[in-house]
Amino acid sequence: MSEGKSIIMDTSRCTACRGCQIACKQWNGLPGTKTKQTGTYQNPPDMSYQTFKVVRFAEGKADNGKPYWYFFSDMCRHCLNPGCMEGNKKNEIIQDPATGAVIHTPATKKLDYNTVLAGCPYDIPRQDPKTKELKKCTMCLDRMRDNKIPACVKTCPTGALVFGEREEILKIVEERVAKLKQTHPKAKALNPDDVRVIFIVTDDPDRYHKFAEA
Amino acid sequence: MSKITRREFMAATGMLAGGLALSSLGVPLGAVQAYAGELSKAERVKMAQTFISTCDFCSVSCGLLISSDAKTKKVINIEGDPEHPINEGALCAKGASIFQESTNNPDRLKKVLYRAPYSTKWETKTWDWALDTIAKRIKAVRDKDFMTTNAKGQVVNRLESIAHIGSSKMDNEECWLVSAMLRSLGLVNIDHQARV
Repeated sequence: MSEGKSIIMDTSRCTACRGCQIACKQWNGLPGTKTKQTGTYQNPPDMSYQTFKVVRFAEGKADNGKPYWYFFSDMCRHCLNPGCMEGNKKNEIIQDPATGAVIHTPATKKLDYNTVLAGCPYDIPRQDPKTKELKKCTMCLDRMRDNKIPACVKTCPTGALVFGEREEILKIVEERVAKLKQTHPKAKALNPDDVRVIFIVTDDPDRYHKFAEA
Repeated sequence: MSKITRREFMAATGMLAGGLALSSLGVPLGAVQAYAGELSKAERVKMAQTFISTCDFCSVSCGLLISSDAKTKKVINIEGDPEHPINEGALCAKGASIFQESTNNPDRLKKVLYRAPYSTKWETKTWDWALDTIAKRIKAVRDKDFMTTNAKGQVVNRLESIAHIGSSKMDNEECWLVSAMLRSLGLVNIDHQARV
């Protein structure tokens, strides 16, 4: 078996157009959710069982006193050793052998949601209040099986999202981080050895999202 | 794309073997089958008839691939066209949501909805009513506000109280027709929406 697939989410290239967020909804046939204006472009305010991907907007003052505005296209990291699978009773959460995608099957309704959520350092799984099934990003396993790339990656107009074989992706991550370090000394990849969806940030990860880094 | 059946593809990528291994491990078959049911969209898109078109939201006109179900002839998926020179498969949030404009969107508006000034409710109206009302209001405003001369007494023949915002998807000839009509009303506030 190969090392499976991987995705890069390079925050330095993201313009927060939210095409990925919409493409995810569109492909997965997920409905719009009722939201409120919270004073930010981040909408819906958080992930839900109907929203597998959210572009998070974070603003504040940087060390040099200048304002920053960071975009973080949050999604399941598809860990190599998924913490959520600790909550498995049988095989309700499975890992696709070919791609490495972590799948919450409909049988997850038998699992304890809080145990599964506690196993996830990135705060990803969400529960459908009616069916009690756990829902999250599938890495578009159905598309990958059909030789298509995930919907979010396909729609990304800036190249912030990149999809490919894990070995190649790891090389690109190294190159990008090395290049970013010239201008942004804090640039780094988040947990590249543990996850399949590797985020590249140019500043302190906490400034992007509380659960950005494990 | 090579001509490879789903079964061959799955076997080649180890999916079939993986699936068998999982079922022998005691994965509830119901769950796996239920998940396979969710895969039907990818299958349907694969078998669908594909049409090319362009996004209608802004003047960039990104290329689209529209998948129409082989049996029902309904649009089942729209995504970026990787062979289109402008977007190379990519779409922004608006383009990515364009499936919502297709006829099988249950929330699609099919009738004119009208909200009267200060009202909090939408009323359903006919197209005839809507067009007549728009025409009547334009005439009333024009009759009231049309200026033949400005404050200095110079001839201007203009109407400043109506503005027009055009579409970024209009071609040259349509733009000419619309501007000719607007100028004949005396409009000077004419803009378009090519920026987005």
